[in-house]
Amino acid sequence: MKKSLLMISIMLALAIALGGCATKGDLEEVQAREKAIGAKADQAAQDAEDAKAAADQAVKKADEAVARAEEAERRAMERERIAAEKERIAEEKARMAEEKAKQAEAAFQKSMKK
Amino acid sequence: MREVVKSLPLHIHPEEKVRRNDFFVEKEDDVIGRLAAIRIEKEDTLPDIARHFSLGINTVSAANPGIDIWVPEVGERILLPLSFILPDTPRKGIVINLAAMRLFYFKKAGKLLAVSTYPVGIGTTERPTPMGQMYVKRKKIRPTWYVPASIAEDHREKGDPLPAKVPPGPLNPLGEYALYLSNSGYLVHGTNKPASIGLRATNGCIRLYPEDIERLFENAPVKTPVSIVNQPYLVGQRDGIIYIEAHKPFEESGIAELKRTYAKLRNIEKKSGHALDWKKVGKVMGEARGFPVPVFDINRGSEKVAAETIKLWHPGKLYGKPEIPELQTDAWYVLAATLRDKVDALRLAAIINHQGPPIPARVLSTSDRYRVLAGPFKNRREAKDAAKRLKIDLEIDGILVEPIKEGEPIAPLLSRSSSLNY
Repeated sequence: MKKSLLMISIMLALAIALGGCATKGDLEEVQAREKAIGAKADQAAQDAEDAKAAADQAVKKADEAVARAEEAERRAMERERIAAEKERIAEEKARMAEEKAKQAEAAFQKSMKK
Repeated sequence: MREVVKSLPLHIHPEEKVRRNDFFVEKEDDVIGRLAAIRIEKEDTLPDIARHFSLGINTVSAANPGIDIWVPEVGERILLPLSFILPDTPRKGIVINLAAMRLFYFKKAGKLLAVSTYPVGIGTTERPTPMGQMYVKRKKIRPTWYVPASIAEDHREKGDPLPAKVPPGPLNPLGEYALYLSNSGYLVHGTNKPASIGLRATNGCIRLYPEDIERLFENAPVKTPVSIVNQPYLVGQRDGIIYIEAHKPFEESGIAELKRTYAKLRNIEKKSGHALDWKKVGKVMGEARGFPVPVFDINRGSEKVAAETIKLWHPGKLYGKPEIPELQTDAWYVLAATLRDKVDALRLAAIINHQGPPIPARVLSTSDRYRVLAGPFKNRREAKDAAKRLKIDLEIDGILVEPIKEGEPIAPLLSRSSSLNY
């Protein structure tokens, strides 16, 4: 039993001794790699953010264009409505003027009888 | 000083260039006269132009569709239909074509046949002018009008009772001359309402302009035969060219007359051996503009062409145009209407001016309104009489305007207005 415990202790000590053998250079390399990857990740995140912003901008522009088109269409329809209204009023005025002229003429013709 | 020579365009002629009433008829011809044209000037009305050129208002307005009778636009060209197709009747004595509202008086002049033609006013739909053969039974200068019972009744209903007889004078609707026809109760006479020539406004009699009845009265003796016909569609020829003259037919006569005219045209087509332009014929018939339109050249290839329209200078003063006296502050007036529309006001003033006897009227404009003012009248009674006539004849409720008293501040009606002199 004592022998087994000794054996385990030796192996542990050996393992600890061997682990402590990593060099300073190794550590710096790992740190540099981490840094590079971190920067890469930051870049990617930034790129993604930029892409999203660009997409958002495009959507915004598209929305604005649609809104402008809708406004233009609304204005055109309004103009058309006003023109139609003006035409209707002009027609109505012409009709009324013609009607008044006819009424005046009828009154005149009646007045020409004996 | 250098003399300024005003040169006139050669293609426009003085008005004397065009014949109005008197023509010679060539044996083979049915068409007389020439079309003419004139430009409207300020204050012209179509009834004034019609009278000046001895035309009825019916033909002038039919020949110029769409032009305002009372307020035509200055500069508009007006066609004067001074060309006529003679009615399809024997050329003897007086012939009256009701549809054309025109009288023709045929008379031999040596070997030639002369015709004098005048526009007329005729009976209404309710009291139409009778058609048929008759003659002039007697003639009378300054006739008295014995009011027929039916007319007396009409006037009583309107609140305008008439005396049993109306002596000669401005209120006599017969005017200064009358030809009594053999068909009892019917006359060819003058009028105190010259603007009614070319209208269906009589009780069956035939009315002429005062200046025209005077000439007819002088020339047509008692026993002159009178033929009254109704021919809305006339076909005639001059110099080998066939003309059609279409008038708007009276309701009761259209279809039969149309059939008769088409039969006549088919006959001409058959005899000539050339196809007629039926589309053009249909257009002329449908438009009914009341003057002869060339539709067919019998001798195809001949160099003869239809006579061109003569362009005339405006005569300046139109014969018989109602005159409006100057405004006077010491006179009576009748305010006939206050209107917002200038054209409506001008039209009403013109209509009042053309009553018979005439009632002077003008338009006074303010910043946003137009007042139609009848007058001046010498006294209250004259103004009241005018107001009564406006009420009875035109259903206008006029307001009497008193003269301005000495020292009285000038009323806004006369002071802040500008007269349009219509």
